[in-house]
Amino acid sequence: MDAPLPLQSDSARSCILHPISPTEGHANVIAGHDNDHLVLDIFRYTSLPTFVLDANLHVTHVSDSYCSVSGIRNREQLLGAHVDDLGANATVPSNSLSHRGIRAAQDTAGPSIFNESINDRVWTLRTVPVIRDGTICSFLMEVQDTTEAHQKQLELEERMYTNETFKILVDTIKDVAIFMLDPQGNVATWNAGAQAFKGYTKSEIIGKHFSGFYTQEDRDNDKPARELRDALNNGACEDEGWRMRKDGSRFWANVVITPVRKDGALLGFSKVTRDLSERKKAESKLIAVYEEASRLKSEFLANMSHEIRTPMHGMLSALTLLLDTQLNPEQLELAHIIQESGEVLLHVINDILDYSKLASGSFSISHDIISVREIILSVFRAHEKVSKPGITLEKDIDPRLPIAAEGDSFRFRQIVENLVSNASKFTEQGYIRIQATQQHEDDTKYIVLIEVIDTGIGVPLIASGSLFTPFNQFDNSATKRYKGTGLGLSICKSLVELMGGNIGFRPNPEGTGSVFWFTAQLKRVEHSKRLGLIQNRLDNISFPTSPTPGLDQLNILAGDRRVLLAEDNAINRKVMLKILIGLGFNHVDIAVDGNEAVLMALKASPSYDLILMDINMPFLDGVQATKEIRGAGLDVPIVAMTANALKGQAESYIAKGMTGYIAKPVDRKLLAELLLSCLEQEDSGSARRGSISHNQVPRGSYD
Amino acid sequence: MARADSAKDDAGDRSDHEDHGGDIMKITGAKDSIDEATFEQILEMDDDEEEREFSKSIVYDFFTQAESTFEKMDSNLEKKDLKTLSELGHFLKGSSATLGLSKVKDSCEKIQNYGQKKDEKGEKDITEEDGLKKLETTIKQAKQEFHDVEKVLRKFYNDEQ
Repeated sequence: MDAPLPLQSDSARSCILHPISPTEGHANVIAGHDNDHLVLDIFRYTSLPTFVLDANLHVTHVSDSYCSVSGIRNREQLLGAHVDDLGANATVPSNSLSHRGIRAAQDTAGPSIFNESINDRVWTLRTVPVIRDGTICSFLMEVQDTTEAHQKQLELEERMYTNETFKILVDTIKDVAIFMLDPQGNVATWNAGAQAFKGYTKSEIIGKHFSGFYTQEDRDNDKPARELRDALNNGACEDEGWRMRKDGSRFWANVVITPVRKDGALLGFSKVTRDLSERKKAESKLIAVYEEASRLKSEFLANMSHEIRTPMHGMLSALTLLLDTQLNPEQLELAHIIQESGEVLLHVINDILDYSKLASGSFSISHDIISVREIILSVFRAHEKVSKPGITLEKDIDPRLPIAAEGDSFRFRQIVENLVSNASKFTEQGYIRIQATQQHEDDTKYIVLIEVIDTGIGVPLIASGSLFTPFNQFDNSATKRYKGTGLGLSICKSLVELMGGNIGFRPNPEGTGSVFWFTAQLKRVEHSKRLGLIQNRLDNISFPTSPTPGLDQLNILAGDRRVLLAEDNAINRKVMLKILIGLGFNHVDIAVDGNEAVLMALKASPSYDLILMDINMPFLDGVQATKEIRGAGLDVPIVAMTANALKGQAESYIAKGMTGYIAKPVDRKLLAELLLSCLEQEDSGSARRGSISHNQVPRGSYD
Repeated sequence: MARADSAKDDAGDRSDHEDHGGDIMKITGAKDSIDEATFEQILEMDDDEEEREFSKSIVYDFFTQAESTFEKMDSNLEKKDLKTLSELGHFLKGSSATLGLSKVKDSCEKIQNYGQKKDEKGEKDITEEDGLKKLETTIKQAKQEFHDVEKVLRKFYNDEQ
C-alpha cells in the first residue's frame, strides 16, 4: 500500500467539493454554480472512462463510461471510496497499476501512461496530476481498452525486426552470391557474398547487365537472356556451369534465377549463385580415379587373358597331337571333352580380351580390303555344316554390294559370326536367314546393312534394353543351356560403333524369333578389285583347320597352274623350285628381284595363277612389288615368304595386298596346304578352308 | 587351332624321317650347328639317297655363296658401309636358314641388325662405332661357324679334303 501523501488533504478536497466560497460575489456564485454542474457533467458523461482521486486518493468523480468498462453497477457506492477499495470492485485498473500511475504522477508531476493486460485485453491507464500552488490536489485517471492499437504496434515491431534480420542475414552470407536484378537483367543490388566471390565492388556492378558474369561462349549462345525467359516461363531456372569473376578467372557455379513479383507485376529477378568449384574439383578427381581404376581393370583383364591364351594354345595343340595317337574309346571321349571345353574357354578368353581392349580404349580396327559378300558366304558355309536338323539356313545377298571395300574383315566377320551363332543357339526349328543389303553408296563410302533373322525363342521385352550391355544374358537360368560370357553382343556393339554403324534388334515380323541387324560404313577403294582370297585368312583365324590336306589333291590342281617365284637368293630359289616341282607344279617362272617380278606378272599371258614373293629383295621389295601388281588390277593370289616372322607382320603383309604368308625356311607341308587352299579358293570360292602358315608353331628360332 | 595342326605336321615330319637324319646328326659338331628338321627337308628332295645329287648341289652352292658373301663383307667392313653389310647379312641369313644351318643363320641375323645400328636382337639402337666393332667380331665368328659346319657337311657328303 502506498504511504499517505504528504499533501494538505483538506484544502485539496475543498478545492473540488467547494471550489468557490459564497463570499466571492453573486455573479460569480451563479457562474460558479453553472460551472460546477458543467464540471460534474463532464466527469460523469465523458466517453473516456475516467475517475478522479483527491490528494488522499479517495474517489471524487466517476464517469459512467468507466463504470461500464470496469463492470461497476452502483456508481454511488464508489464516490468517496479509497482507491484501494475501488480495485476490489472494478475489473480495471488493478490496484498496482493505479498506484504506479499515482506514483509516477507524484514523482514527475506530469502525466504518465501504463499498460496492463487483463483477460487478453490490453488496458492503458493515463494518470494526470492536477496541481495547484505546487501541490497535487487531485489525480485524473483515464482507463482505455487499447488492445487493437497495441496489437498493431506489436505487428509493426515484428515486421521491422524481420526486415532487419533478413537484411543482416543476406548481407552476412559470404558463400552465396545473392543478386536482385531488374526486369531487364541489370543488377539492382547484391550482397557481400556476391562481392566476395565475383571480385567486383558494389559501384562497379550496380546497373550493369548480369550477362557479364557469363563466359563469352554462353553469351554468344544467348544463354543469359534464355535463362531469364525460362525463369519467367517456368517460375524458376536452375543451371550449373562456368561463370566469370572480374579478373577473368572462372568458377563452377550453381545458379538459380527466380522472378520476383509484387501484386502480379514483375519487379525483377532474384539470382542466387553458389560456387561449386570445390565440389566440381572433388567430382573430377573422383571421376579420374574411377576411370583410372576402370582402365587398370581392363588392362589387367587384357593382360590376364593374353597370358592365359598362350598356354591355352599350347594345351590345345598338345591335345590335338594326343587325339592323333592311339586312344581307346574311353580316352578318346575324355580327350574330346577336354578339347571342347578348351575351345569354349578359349572363346571366353578371346571375348574378355576383346571386351577389355574395347573398354580401355586401346582397340583399333584395321583397314583391309574386304568383300562383304565373301564374309557372309563364309560364315554361311561354316554354319551350314553344323546347323541343327530342322533349321534351314538361308542367305539373301544384295548383288549391289561392293566387290571390294575398305574395312576390318576380321572384325566384320566376328560380328556376323556372333549374330549367326546367337541365332542358332536360340533357334530349335524354322530358319535362320542372313540378309545383306547395300543401304547407301556415295563417292567415298558404302553403308551396308546386315540382318540375321531367326525363328527362335525371341527376346523378351524386358531384356531388350540391356541386351547390348556387358555381361548380360537375358536369361541367367539358361546359362547352362546357352553357354557364353554374355559379352558377345556388347563387343559387337562396340565394334559396330568403331565401324561407324549401328546395331539393334526387333521381333521377327513373320512370327516368333528376332531380327538382329547392324550397319557399317565401308570406305571405297580406289582400284576396286576382287580379293576374294582375303577370305582365306579370315577362315583360318576363326576356325580350326581340317586334318592334313591331300597332297594328291594339290598334285591334280597344280598341274597346269602357272606360278611365279620371286626370290633373290639362288639357293632359296633352287630349294623352292624343287619343292614346287615336288608338289606338282610344272610351270614355275623365276624372278630374281621385285622389279622383275612386277614386269613378269604384268606381262604374263595368260596371267599367273599364283605368285610366291620373297619380302626382302633388292631394288623393289616384295611388299612394294605386290602393291604395283595390285595397283595394275591383278587379283592373283600372292603369298609372302619371309624369315622375318615377327608378330603382327603377317597381318601387315596381308593388309598390304598379299593373300597369305609363309615363314622361312619354308615347310613343304605347310606350303602345300597354303597353296591348295589358295587354288581352291580361286577356283570356286568353295567351302574348303586351307591352312595359312602364319598360324604355324614357329620352328626353331625363326619366331 | 591351326597351330596345333602344324605342330602335328612337324612332329610327323620328324618321325617319318628319323632314320635319315641320324646320319648327319651323328657327325661331331652337327648337333649344335644344324637344325635337323630343316636339313631333313632338303635331303628329302633327293631323288636318290645314295647320290644325293640335289642336296649336295645346294650345299655346295651355299659354300660358294658364303665364301663370296664373306669376301664382300670384308671389303664393306673396310669401307664401313653398314647398310650393305646389313643386306649381306640378310642375304646369307636367307640361304643358311633354308638349309637349317642355324648357327650361321643366327650370326647373319646379328650382322643384319648391327648393320642397321641396332643391338643383336634388332630392338635397341647402338652407335655406328659400336656397330662396326660388333660387326667385325660377328663376321669373324660367322666365318668360323661356317667353316665348322662346312666340315660337317663335307664329311656327310664324303668329301673330306
